[in-house]
Amino acid sequence: MSDAHADQDWRAWFAENGARLRLIARQWTRSEADADDVVQEAFVRFWKHQRHLPGNPNALVVTSIRRAALDLLRRSDRRSVREQAVGADMETVSWFEPEADPRLQSLADSLKLLPPEQREVVVLKVWGDLTFDQIGEQLSISPNTAASRWRYAMEALRKHITVRTHD
Amino acid sequence: MTDPDHDLEQALAALRPRPPGPAVLARLARDLDAPVSARGPIIAWSAGLSALAAAFVAAFLFLGFRGEVEAPAYQLVRADQSPADVQFYRPVRLADGSFVRPVRVRWDDTTRWEDPRSNTRLINYRPNDQFALLPLETN
Repeated sequence: MSDAHADQDWRAWFAENGARLRLIARQWTRSEADADDVVQEAFVRFWKHQRHLPGNPNALVVTSIRRAALDLLRRSDRRSVREQAVGADMETVSWFEPEADPRLQSLADSLKLLPPEQREVVVLKVWGDLTFDQIGEQLSISPNTAASRWRYAMEALRKHITVRTHD
Repeated sequence: MTDPDHDLEQALAALRPRPPGPAVLARLARDLDAPVSARGPIIAWSAGLSALAAAFVAAFLFLGFRGEVEAPAYQLVRADQSPADVQFYRPVRLADGSFVRPVRVRWDDTTRWEDPRSNTRLINYRPNDQFALLPLETN
Protein backbone atom coordinates (compact mmCIF):
# COMPACT_ATOMS: atom_id res chain seq x y z
CA MET A 1 0.00 0.00 0.00
CA SER A 2 1.25 3.45 -0.78
CA ASP A 3 1.48 6.14 1.81
CA ALA A 4 -1.61 8.24 2.17
CA HIS A 5 -0.33 11.77 1.89
CA ALA A 6 -2.31 14.61 3.25
CA ASP A 7 -2.87 16.15 -0.15
CA GLN A 8 -3.70 12.89 -1.91
CA ASP A 9 -7.18 12.29 -3.20
CA TRP A 10 -8.94 9.51 -1.35
CA ARG A 11 -10.31 8.15 -4.61
CA ALA A 12 -6.86 7.50 -5.99
CA TRP A 13 -5.73 5.82 -2.79
CA PHE A 14 -8.87 3.75 -2.54
CA ALA A 15 -8.73 2.76 -6.21
CA GLU A 16 -5.28 1.36 -5.55
CA ASN A 17 -6.02 -0.33 -2.24
CA GLY A 18 -9.77 -0.81 -1.94
CA ALA A 19 -9.82 -4.31 -3.33
CA ARG A 20 -7.18 -5.47 -0.88
CA LEU A 21 -8.97 -3.84 2.01
CA ARG A 22 -12.15 -5.60 1.03
CA LEU A 23 -10.43 -8.98 0.86
CA ILE A 24 -9.00 -8.38 4.32
CA ALA A 25 -12.39 -7.33 5.63
CA ARG A 26 -13.91 -10.43 4.06
CA GLN A 27 -11.87 -12.61 6.41
CA TRP A 28 -13.79 -11.37 9.42
CA THR A 29 -17.23 -10.81 7.95
CA ARG A 30 -20.07 -13.08 7.00
CA SER A 31 -21.03 -11.58 3.67
CA GLU A 32 -19.93 -9.32 0.88
CA ALA A 33 -22.31 -6.63 2.09
CA ASP A 34 -20.84 -6.77 5.58
CA ALA A 35 -17.34 -6.52 4.13
CA ASP A 36 -18.37 -3.43 2.19
CA ASP A 37 -19.79 -1.86 5.34
CA VAL A 38 -16.63 -2.64 7.27
CA VAL A 39 -14.39 -1.25 4.54
CA GLN A 40 -16.41 1.92 4.38
CA GLU A 41 -16.35 2.48 8.13
CA ALA A 42 -12.69 1.61 8.49
CA PHE A 43 -11.55 3.61 5.50
CA VAL A 44 -13.44 6.72 6.54
CA ARG A 45 -11.93 6.47 10.02
CA PHE A 46 -8.47 5.95 8.58
CA TRP A 47 -8.71 8.72 6.02
CA LYS A 48 -10.12 11.28 8.38
CA HIS A 49 -8.10 10.58 11.48
CA GLN A 50 -5.14 8.28 10.86
CA ARG A 51 -3.59 8.89 7.47
CA HIS A 52 -1.52 11.77 8.81
CA LEU A 53 0.15 9.53 11.34
CA PRO A 54 3.74 8.64 10.58
CA GLY A 55 4.80 5.28 9.24
CA ASN A 56 3.31 2.76 6.92
CA PRO A 57 -0.47 2.88 6.94
CA ASN A 58 -0.91 -0.86 6.47
CA ALA A 59 -1.13 -1.79 10.11
CA LEU A 60 -3.39 1.16 10.88
CA VAL A 61 -5.80 0.26 8.13
CA VAL A 62 -5.84 -3.40 9.05
CA THR A 63 -6.41 -2.55 12.70
CA SER A 64 -9.25 -0.28 11.73
CA ILE A 65 -10.79 -2.96 9.52
CA ARG A 66 -10.49 -5.64 12.16
CA ARG A 67 -12.02 -3.42 14.80
CA ALA A 68 -14.93 -2.49 12.55
CA ALA A 69 -15.45 -6.12 11.57
CA LEU A 70 -15.47 -7.33 15.16
CA ASP A 71 -17.89 -4.57 16.12
CA LEU A 72 -20.16 -5.61 13.29
CA LEU A 73 -19.96 -9.26 14.29
CA ARG A 74 -20.90 -8.41 17.85
CA ARG A 75 -23.86 -6.42 16.63
CA SER A 76 -24.83 -9.14 14.18
CA ASP A 77 -24.83 -11.77 16.89
CA ARG A 78 -27.69 -9.92 18.50
CA ARG A 79 -29.65 -9.60 15.31
CA SER A 80 -32.31 -11.81 13.84
CA VAL A 81 -32.02 -15.10 12.04
CA ARG A 82 -32.04 -13.16 8.80
CA GLU A 83 -28.42 -12.37 9.32
CA GLN A 84 -27.43 -15.97 9.87
CA ALA A 85 -28.16 -16.93 6.29
CA VAL A 86 -25.62 -14.56 4.82
CA GLY A 87 -22.75 -16.84 5.73
CA ALA A 88 -23.77 -18.95 2.78
CA ASP A 89 -22.14 -16.60 0.30
CA MET A 90 -18.80 -17.63 1.77
CA GLU A 91 -18.96 -20.60 -0.55
CA THR A 92 -20.65 -19.06 -3.55
CA VAL A 93 -19.19 -15.60 -4.04
CA SER A 94 -15.71 -15.38 -5.46
CA TRP A 95 -13.28 -13.11 -3.70
CA PHE A 96 -11.15 -12.65 -6.79
CA GLU A 97 -11.57 -11.61 -10.35
CA PRO A 98 -11.77 -14.59 -12.72
CA GLU A 99 -8.39 -15.80 -13.89
CA ALA A 100 -7.61 -17.18 -17.31
CA ASP A 101 -4.73 -19.16 -15.89
CA PRO A 102 -6.27 -22.36 -14.45
CA ARG A 103 -3.51 -22.61 -11.87
CA LEU A 104 -4.28 -19.16 -10.56
CA GLN A 105 -7.99 -19.87 -10.62
CA SER A 106 -7.38 -23.05 -8.69
CA LEU A 107 -5.31 -21.12 -6.18
CA ALA A 108 -8.08 -18.57 -5.74
CA ASP A 109 -10.61 -21.31 -5.14
CA SER A 110 -8.31 -23.16 -2.78
CA LEU A 111 -7.72 -20.18 -0.56
CA LYS A 112 -11.28 -20.34 0.68
CA LEU A 113 -10.81 -23.95 1.70
CA LEU A 114 -8.11 -23.13 4.20
CA PRO A 115 -8.99 -23.05 7.88
CA PRO A 116 -9.89 -19.45 8.81
CA GLU A 117 -6.94 -19.02 11.14
CA GLN A 118 -4.52 -19.97 8.35
CA ARG A 119 -6.38 -18.04 5.70
CA GLU A 120 -6.31 -14.77 7.61
CA VAL A 121 -2.55 -15.05 8.06
CA VAL A 122 -2.14 -15.58 4.31
CA VAL A 123 -4.38 -12.65 3.46
CA LEU A 124 -2.69 -10.33 5.95
CA LYS A 125 0.76 -11.27 4.68
CA VAL A 126 0.08 -11.23 0.95
CA TRP A 127 -2.55 -8.51 0.60
CA GLY A 128 -2.07 -6.68 3.86
CA ASP A 129 1.68 -6.62 3.32
CA LEU A 130 2.28 -7.24 7.01
CA THR A 131 5.19 -9.01 8.63
CA PHE A 132 4.69 -11.95 10.95
CA ASP A 133 5.34 -9.61 13.87
CA GLN A 134 2.59 -7.28 12.70
CA ILE A 135 0.25 -10.17 11.96
CA GLY A 136 0.87 -11.46 15.46
CA GLU A 137 -0.08 -8.09 16.89
CA GLN A 138 -3.23 -7.93 14.82
CA LEU A 139 -4.40 -11.40 15.75
CA SER A 140 -3.05 -11.45 19.29
CA ILE A 141 -0.82 -14.41 18.57
CA SER A 142 2.93 -14.80 18.63
CA PRO A 143 4.96 -14.19 15.48
CA ASN A 144 6.03 -17.82 15.60
CA THR A 145 2.41 -18.94 15.60
CA ALA A 146 1.71 -16.66 12.65
CA ALA A 147 4.66 -18.08 10.77
CA SER A 148 3.60 -21.60 11.63
CA ARG A 149 0.10 -20.98 10.30
CA TRP A 150 1.60 -19.55 7.16
CA ARG A 151 3.67 -22.68 6.59
CA TYR A 152 0.66 -24.93 7.15
CA ALA A 153 -1.35 -22.79 4.75
CA MET A 154 1.30 -22.99 2.03
CA GLU A 155 1.49 -26.71 2.45
CA ALA A 156 -2.28 -27.05 2.23
CA LEU A 157 -2.52 -24.79 -0.80
CA ARG A 158 0.10 -26.80 -2.55
CA LYS A 159 -1.86 -29.98 -1.91
CA HIS A 160 -5.11 -28.41 -3.08
CA ILE A 161 -3.56 -27.20 -6.29
CA THR A 162 -1.97 -30.56 -6.96
CA VAL A 163 -5.21 -32.42 -6.44
CA ARG A 164 -7.21 -29.98 -8.58
CA THR A 165 -4.62 -30.04 -11.31
CA HIS A 166 -4.76 -33.81 -11.41
CA ASP A 167 -8.57 -33.73 -11.43
CA MET B 1 18.89 -20.68 0.16
CA THR B 2 15.63 -20.07 -1.66
CA ASP B 3 12.26 -19.79 0.01
CA PRO B 4 10.16 -22.76 -1.11
CA ASP B 5 7.00 -20.72 -0.59
CA HIS B 6 8.20 -17.83 -2.70
CA ASP B 7 6.63 -19.01 -5.95
CA LEU B 8 3.36 -19.76 -4.25
CA GLU B 9 3.36 -16.39 -2.56
CA GLN B 10 4.05 -14.73 -5.88
CA ALA B 11 1.15 -16.60 -7.41
CA LEU B 12 -1.12 -15.52 -4.59
CA ALA B 13 -0.05 -11.91 -5.03
CA ALA B 14 -0.98 -12.17 -8.68
CA LEU B 15 -4.61 -12.85 -7.76
CA ARG B 16 -6.78 -9.77 -8.07
CA PRO B 17 -9.27 -9.28 -5.25
CA ARG B 18 -12.62 -8.01 -6.36
CA PRO B 19 -12.95 -4.30 -5.68
CA PRO B 20 -15.77 -2.85 -3.64
CA GLY B 21 -18.86 -2.03 -5.61
CA PRO B 22 -19.95 1.44 -6.72
CA ALA B 23 -22.28 1.67 -3.76
CA VAL B 24 -19.28 1.72 -1.43
CA LEU B 25 -17.66 4.46 -3.46
CA ALA B 26 -20.87 6.45 -3.35
CA ARG B 27 -21.06 6.13 0.42
CA LEU B 28 -17.40 7.05 0.79
CA ALA B 29 -17.96 10.09 -1.41
CA ARG B 30 -20.82 11.11 0.83
CA ASP B 31 -18.58 10.83 3.90
CA LEU B 32 -15.34 12.19 2.50
CA ASP B 33 -16.22 14.55 -0.33
CA ALA B 34 -17.69 17.99 -0.37
CA PRO B 35 -16.32 19.59 2.76
CA VAL B 36 -18.62 22.53 2.05
CA SER B 37 -21.70 20.40 2.30
CA ALA B 38 -20.21 18.67 5.30
CA ARG B 39 -19.90 22.01 6.99
CA GLY B 40 -23.57 22.65 6.48
CA PRO B 41 -24.81 20.30 9.18
CA ILE B 42 -22.02 21.42 11.48
CA ILE B 43 -22.98 25.04 11.01
CA ALA B 44 -26.64 24.17 11.42
CA TRP B 45 -25.94 22.26 14.61
CA SER B 46 -23.73 25.04 15.92
CA ALA B 47 -26.36 27.64 15.12
CA GLY B 48 -29.06 25.54 16.72
CA LEU B 49 -27.06 24.94 19.86
CA SER B 50 -26.11 28.59 20.05
CA ALA B 51 -29.72 29.63 19.71
CA LEU B 52 -30.71 27.14 22.37
CA ALA B 53 -28.02 28.43 24.71
CA ALA B 54 -29.11 32.00 24.04
CA ALA B 55 -32.70 31.06 24.78
CA PHE B 56 -31.65 29.51 28.08
CA VAL B 57 -29.68 32.60 29.02
CA ALA B 58 -32.55 34.87 28.03
CA ALA B 59 -35.02 32.80 29.97
CA PHE B 60 -32.74 32.78 32.98
CA LEU B 61 -32.25 36.53 32.86
CA PHE B 62 -35.92 37.14 32.24
CA LEU B 63 -37.03 34.97 35.11
CA GLY B 64 -34.33 36.37 37.32
CA PHE B 65 -35.35 39.90 36.43
CA ARG B 66 -38.97 39.16 37.05
CA GLY B 67 -38.08 37.55 40.34
CA GLU B 68 -36.35 40.70 41.52
CA VAL B 69 -39.08 43.12 40.46
CA GLU B 70 -42.24 41.28 41.22
CA ALA B 71 -43.19 40.50 44.77
CA PRO B 72 -43.91 36.91 45.56
CA ALA B 73 -47.53 36.18 44.92
CA TYR B 74 -48.24 34.58 48.25
CA GLN B 75 -51.76 33.50 48.91
CA LEU B 76 -53.20 32.92 52.33
CA VAL B 77 -54.01 29.25 52.64
CA ARG B 78 -54.49 28.88 56.39
CA ALA B 79 -54.95 31.02 59.50
CA ASP B 80 -54.93 29.66 63.03
CA GLN B 81 -55.45 31.32 66.37
CA SER B 82 -54.64 29.53 69.54
CA PRO B 83 -57.06 29.58 72.48
CA ALA B 84 -56.53 32.63 74.63
CA ASP B 85 -54.77 32.23 77.92
CA VAL B 86 -56.53 34.68 80.29
CA GLN B 87 -55.08 35.46 83.64
CA PHE B 88 -57.03 37.52 86.20
CA TYR B 89 -55.18 39.22 88.98
CA ARG B 90 -56.29 40.63 92.25
CA PRO B 91 -58.14 43.92 92.08
CA VAL B 92 -56.04 46.93 92.72
CA ARG B 93 -56.95 50.41 93.85
CA LEU B 94 -55.90 53.21 91.64
CA ALA B 95 -54.79 56.65 92.78
CA ASP B 96 -58.24 58.13 92.12
CA GLY B 97 -59.80 55.60 94.50
CA SER B 98 -61.39 53.39 91.83
CA PHE B 99 -60.79 49.71 91.69
CA VAL B 100 -59.65 47.72 88.62
CA ARG B 101 -58.83 44.08 87.99
CA PRO B 102 -55.67 43.50 85.94
CA VAL B 103 -56.17 40.97 83.17
CA ARG B 104 -53.50 39.43 81.01
CA VAL B 105 -54.49 37.70 77.77
CA ARG B 106 -52.03 35.71 75.65
CA TRP B 107 -52.62 33.91 72.35
CA ASP B 108 -50.84 33.10 69.12
CA ASP B 109 -51.77 33.95 65.55
CA THR B 110 -50.35 31.69 62.85
CA THR B 111 -50.91 32.32 59.17
CA ARG B 112 -49.60 30.21 56.32
CA TRP B 113 -49.01 31.65 52.84
CA GLU B 114 -48.02 29.88 49.67
CA ASP B 115 -46.76 31.01 46.28
CA PRO B 116 -47.87 28.37 43.78
CA ARG B 117 -45.51 29.66 41.06
CA SER B 118 -42.38 29.05 43.03
CA ASN B 119 -43.90 26.50 45.39
CA THR B 120 -42.62 28.46 48.36
CA ARG B 121 -44.32 28.83 51.75
CA LEU B 122 -44.32 31.54 54.29
CA ILE B 123 -45.45 30.86 57.86
CA ASN B 124 -46.07 33.88 59.96
CA TYR B 125 -46.18 33.17 63.72
CA ARG B 126 -47.10 36.05 65.95
CA PRO B 127 -47.46 35.69 69.71
CA ASN B 128 -49.79 38.18 71.35
CA ASP B 129 -49.64 39.38 74.91
CA GLN B 130 -52.04 42.06 76.08
CA PHE B 131 -52.58 43.52 79.50
CA ALA B 132 -55.73 45.38 80.48
CA LEU B 133 -57.40 46.82 83.55
CA LEU B 134 -61.04 45.96 83.95
CA PRO B 135 -62.89 48.61 85.94
CA LEU B 136 -64.72 47.29 88.98
CA GLU B 137 -67.80 48.96 90.24
CA THR B 138 -68.03 49.22 93.95
CA ASN B 139 -71.17 49.96 95.91
